[in-house]
Amino acid sequence: MHDTDAHNAEATLTLRSQLTDLTLVGPWVDELAAKHGIADNTRFAIDLCLEEALSNVIRHGYGSEPDHTVTVDFRADGESGLTFTIEDSAPHFKPSEAIEPMETRPIDEMEPGGQGIRLMRRFASSMVYEQLPQGNRLTLGFQKP
Amino acid sequence: MKISTEELDGGITKVVLDGRLDIEGAAAVDLKMNIVAGSSKFLLLDMQQVTFLGSMGLRSLVVPAQAVKRRGGKAVVFRPTPMVEEVFKASNIDTIIPIHHELSAALAALQ
Repeated sequence: MHDTDAHNAEATLTLRSQLTDLTLVGPWVDELAAKHGIADNTRFAIDLCLEEALSNVIRHGYGSEPDHTVTVDFRADGESGLTFTIEDSAPHFKPSEAIEPMETRPIDEMEPGGQGIRLMRRFASSMVYEQLPQGNRLTLGFQKP
Repeated sequence: MKISTEELDGGITKVVLDGRLDIEGAAAVDLKMNIVAGSSKFLLLDMQQVTFLGSMGLRSLVVPAQAVKRRGGKAVVFRPTPMVEEVFKASNIDTIIPIHHELSAALAALQ
C-alpha cells in the first residue's frame, strides 16, 4: 500500500547522504509551497521537520558515510493534507526510543543539539515510523492552512 | 547567513544574525560566535532577521551561551519571529536563553 502511494508521489527529492545536500531541501519546499499555496508558517514547519529528519538519517542512520541516498516523496492529500515520506536504507531506527527527556537542565549541563525529534513532534501534524526490510520510512503529515 | 557585532554600553555585545540558521547557516556563524563568546560576557542575540532556525542553529546559540555563562556572563535572545520563537519554546531553550521583545528589558536582563 505504501509502496503504491510512494509511486504516486507528486514530487520526489533524492539526496546523497551528505549534509551539504540539505541545502537542496529549502528551495524544493519553496517550490512546493508556491505550487500548492502552502502558508508561510506551514512552509517553515515542513522545512524544519525535513531538515531535522534528513540530518538524523545522514548523521546517525548512515553514520555520515557519503555514498548512500535518502528520498523524500511529497503528496497532497485532499484539500489540506500534505504528506512527506522519507525513506532510507540505513539500519533500523525508532524515533520513539530516541526522544529526549523534557526536563530543563541548567545551561552548563545541557548537551547541545539532540532537539530534532522533539521539534518534529511539535511542528508536524503527524509522524509515523515504519521499519522497511532494509531501511526506514518516516511519514510526516502537515495541514496546509 | 550573515553575522555582525556591535559593542554596547555595559560590556554587552550585540550579535546581529541575518538569514537562515539551518545546518549551512550554523556552519557559517559558528567560528564568529565562538570568537565573540570568548571575548564578551554578555550577549544580546538579535534574531529579528533570522528566517529559519533548526536544531543545528540552536546549537550555534547554546554553545556560546554556555561559554559566557561559565565566565559569569549571560546571553539573551532579542525579537525572534513567531515561528523562530516557537522553535526556542518547543526545545525548552527559552528557559535557559531568555527571549525578550523589548530592547530595554533585554538589556536589563543582561545587567
